[in-house]
Parts: sequence; structure tokens; C-alpha cells
Amino acid sequence: MSEPVTLAIPSKGRLKEQVDAYFAAAGVALKQTAGARGYRATVEGLDGIDVMLLSSSEIASALVSGDVHLGVTGEDLIREAAPELDGRVALLKPLGFGFADVVVAVPRAWIDVSTMADLDDACAAFAHRHRRRLRVATKYAQLTRGFFAHAGISDYRIVSSTGATEGAPTAGTAEAIVDITTTGATLKANGLKILEDGVILKSQAQLAMSFAADWPDPTRAFAAVLLARLGAKLP
Amino acid sequence: MPAFPTTGPEEIAALDKQAEAILGVFKARGYTRHEPAILQPAQMFVDRSGEEIRRRTFEVTDPSGRELCLRPDLTIPTCQWQVESGNPYPARLCYHGLAFRHRPGDGPTQFTQAGAELLGLEDRAAGDAEMLALSVEALRAAGLARFDMKIGDLGLFSTLVDALAVPAQWRGRLKRHFWRAGYFEVLLSRMVAGATSDAERAIDALHGLDGAELHRAVEALLDKEGDTPLGARTREEIVERLMVQAADGAAPRLDAAVAEIITRVLAVSGPAPAALEQIRTLTKSVAAKMERPLLAMQARLGALAALGVDPKSVRFAAHFGRNLEYYTGFVFEFWSRAAGAPIEIAGGGRYDTLMESLGAPHGTAAIGIAIRSERLLTARRGGK
Repeated sequence: MSEPVTLAIPSKGRLKEQVDAYFAAAGVALKQTAGARGYRATVEGLDGIDVMLLSSSEIASALVSGDVHLGVTGEDLIREAAPELDGRVALLKPLGFGFADVVVAVPRAWIDVSTMADLDDACAAFAHRHRRRLRVATKYAQLTRGFFAHAGISDYRIVSSTGATEGAPTAGTAEAIVDITTTGATLKANGLKILEDGVILKSQAQLAMSFAADWPDPTRAFAAVLLARLGAKLP
Repeated sequence: MPAFPTTGPEEIAALDKQAEAILGVFKARGYTRHEPAILQPAQMFVDRSGEEIRRRTFEVTDPSGRELCLRPDLTIPTCQWQVESGNPYPARLCYHGLAFRHRPGDGPTQFTQAGAELLGLEDRAAGDAEMLALSVEALRAAGLARFDMKIGDLGLFSTLVDALAVPAQWRGRLKRHFWRAGYFEVLLSRMVAGATSDAERAIDALHGLDGAELHRAVEALLDKEGDTPLGARTREEIVERLMVQAADGAAPRLDAAVAEIITRVLAVSGPAPAALEQIRTLTKSVAAKMERPLLAMQARLGALAALGVDPKSVRFAAHFGRNLEYYTGFVFEFWSRAAGAPIEIAGGGRYDTLMESLGAPHGTAAIGIAIRSERLLTARRGGK
């Protein structure tokens, strides 16, 4: 097939199931490519669609770098991969599943802190007293920097966390965290609370396109047909 | 200018000559030159300047996994060296070399700075005068005949906040954010409206208690949360902050008249002598406390006049805070309009807490200047 459109979708987990169900309801049936061990697929009855199954965060970076034309993944991951989204990635359609909030959470025992302004005070006092900055554990460094800058907080530092971020204050590796949550139950179980104005992003799964990818006319045509079935169109 | 410019022989010769003139002045006034390493531990800058500096810093990881960065300024490593050397104070140090900063959008990412730091001179007025003289002399020696100056003082605003009837728990907030246009106005209006959060409502329960009684009540509130994590923030810190908040009473509010004074003072900007007079008038209700910072500013203008810089040509801006985290008091900038649009050629100021945070004795005073070599050359050429 000449110049097909590449579409990246999640390769595993709950998000994969939801994407499969969404596609099936839209009449887009995926067919595993023989010998590709489940990493490649095509769409039944539609030409020129090359489906790649990747991890959710790989999809976000592939959209930013232009390695794929289209992708389905969490908005949180896309915005983290491309802090300045305009002109790099377009969010074509929110898909109505994969809901999660990226939030700022602090120990519940900090009864003097319930807003970002309180946290700002606590950070300044902490820096003054401990001669170092208060630590915020997160895998969302970009989102955190943008949000904290907007809230006028500068007396902190980010420690990167790749898993079980909510445990960082208990483990003693950070004072506060920025993490994703759906019900808040995990945060609560770890003795944390979300700040009143601490919701950085209300995220859900998004159908997105990459501006960095090459978009020759045949590719655009293939994409247009697929997107029409999914109720979206190219900008 | 291209993103990755190559400097040619003429440019190099001009920059070298300019550097020689500036460093000549520094040396004649007793400043010894040091060259900090270009690669520095990233953490040192984050710990002093805040996480925000990472958005402007080039970070690299060495093969062993250590996080390094290309120095975004030379002040912090220079101060660090002074602390580690164990040399006596006051210390007069200077440097000349490349610094690296990412600027969102465009602009050069590497530039040359010639700077001087005066560390540990207790007489701050003398330190201010010395640094102003050094700066003006260096710029003139480099061949810059005319410049504009802009000055401000973070200490003056800080004194004002302490003097006015501002709830104690909000003083720090106002001092930290006064130079942040837009954000500050919102902050102020929320304080006037008495907007409260959950935490502030929790404090209501403590109203009317004092001393040991208050302390016990705060401890009880904390105990209610059971055995939950604190991070490295201690229980004492929480108790301390709650005690300050409780002392302000239930539902603290900022008096609208006080907010009005703050707003009007921050709006003052113009020729320095008239601007200071305006501030004196606006702050009449707390005149005794404002006397010191106002006299200190007057003394700086006197020092400038002695250097042949007309105080009326110097612009004082009350909201001017230089948006680098470590400045604490008097701040100044030199600008040139010789090349058309105004460009900032040099900037500096007092940073009286940085030295202590690097391990120097409590209260070690510090003031410095950094001259942007390429911009200075551009201005000099545009002016001829």
C-alpha cells in the first residue's frame, strides 16, 4: 500500500479494551496482521490503514515526533509529551472514556494546607527552614512546572517518579505529589488529600493527530475515510 | 541573529578588548578573577533558584547518571566557591565567561557575562555605593557613554508590608509575589474579600484561644489525622504555621484601605527623586518605619550623583523585583537605547540570603552585577 496512514492504539490494559469496544461500535473492525505478534493490524474493509499497537506513553511521544499520523491515548500523556501543544498535535475528538484527573496532593496531616496558595506558603517556609526545596514527586514534570508557575510557586523541586508516586510521602522521598487519579481512593489510602484548586487537568482518551508527520494527499484521503467512521475529521 | 552563530575575528577582537577594559576596572578595585566550571551540578541551581530555572536550563546526564547542567549563571558557583574556600570576608570576586539559558521562543542560548560579587561587607550602604561605582566605571571604561538606569528595592516593599496592618499569615505571600503583575492583583482582591479555604476554616475553630491552650488545640487537630505521612515537613512546622494563622483571628481580611495603599505604592514608577517623594506621601501613616528604606534609597541616588549620573535620569519602579529568585533588596539594571529598541545591558542587586543557603554564616551580605558582553557591544556600535 502506498503512503498509508498510521494509527497507534494502546496495546494492553483497560484502555485497549475500551478502544476496541469504541472502534467496534463505530464499525471499525481490527484484523491482526499475520506474524506480527499482535503489534500490527489492519482495518477490515478499509484500505491504507496501518494500525500499530504501542504503550500509551509511546503513543504520545510518537504523535509529538511524527512517527505516527493518528493515535489514541490519554490527554494527560499527550500534554506531558508536548507542553506547547499548538502546531504539534491536534486533539480531534474526546472519546468519552479513560477519565482521570491529574492532581496536586499533599499529606492529609498538613491541616494548614488546602489550596495552592497555602502550598506556596508551605514551600517558602520549608525552603527557609530546611535550606532546600520542598520535593514534589511526579511523572508529569512538564504539567507540574506549568501549573506551579501559573500558581506562582517556585520554591519547590521535582523528583521524578515512575511508579507508585502516591507512596512517595510515606517512603520519605517527597513531601507532595502530582499524579493521576480517578476516584481519589488510592490517594486517600496513602494518607493524602487533593488540594481544592489542585486539579491540573481533567483528562480522558483522545483521538489525536500529529502535525509533525508527513501528510501527502493519499495519506490524508485514507485518514479522512477512517476519521469519518469515527465521527471526526482532519483540521 | 542565527540560532547557532559563529563569531568572526573582528567580533572576537572587539569583545576581547571590551572584556579587558571591564576586567581592568574590576581588578583595579580589588576584585580577583575566578572561573567556575561550565558544567555544574543541576541540583545546586534548582535548590537556590527554584524548579522554574529548569525551564531555562540545559541539563545533561553524565555517563554515571549524575545530573549536570550548563551553568545558567556564574553568581551561584562563584558564591559557592567563596564559601568552600574558607577565605575571609569581605571578599571581592569577579568572573568573565559563558552562561547558557534556554529562552522559549528564540534568542541566543549562550552569552558572555562579565560580573563582580561583593560578599560579606556588613555595611550595606557602603556595599551598594561600591557596586554602583564599579558598574558605572566598568561600563564607561568599555566605551558606553550613555545609558538609562532602572532601580527598585524589594526591601522597601517588604518593610511596607510589615508596617501596614496585614494579617501575619499573608505577609509572606505579598512579599513573594509583588512583582508578578496580574497574579498579585488577584491575590490582593482575594485577601480583601476574605476568601477562605478549608484550611483557613479549620483555623476558625481555634479563634479565641491563646498560648498553651492554643498549642494543645492545634496538636489535637493534628492527632485527629492519625498516623499519616508528613514528608520531611515536620509536625512543628505545621503547628507553627497554624499558630500564626490562629493569631490573626477568625476569617482574616485585608483592610481595603491597606490594599489601596499597597496598590498605589506599587504603581509608582518614574524619575527616582519624585517617585520616592510620592512613596513618602502615600505611606505617611507608617512614616516612621518607612524612613530607613527611603533614606537608604536616597543615599544610593547620592552615590550615583557623585558618579555623574543624574538621579532624575534614573527610573525608580516600586514593582521592580528582578525576576530571579535570589534577590532580596536593592536591584538595578542598565539599559541602552543606542541600537534602537531599548536593551538591557547589565543588571544586579543585593542577595542577602544566598550566601547563608550555601553554608556561609547567618546574615552574610552580598551584592553583585553581571554585564552582558554581546549586548554591550551591540549597544556601543549602535550608538556610534
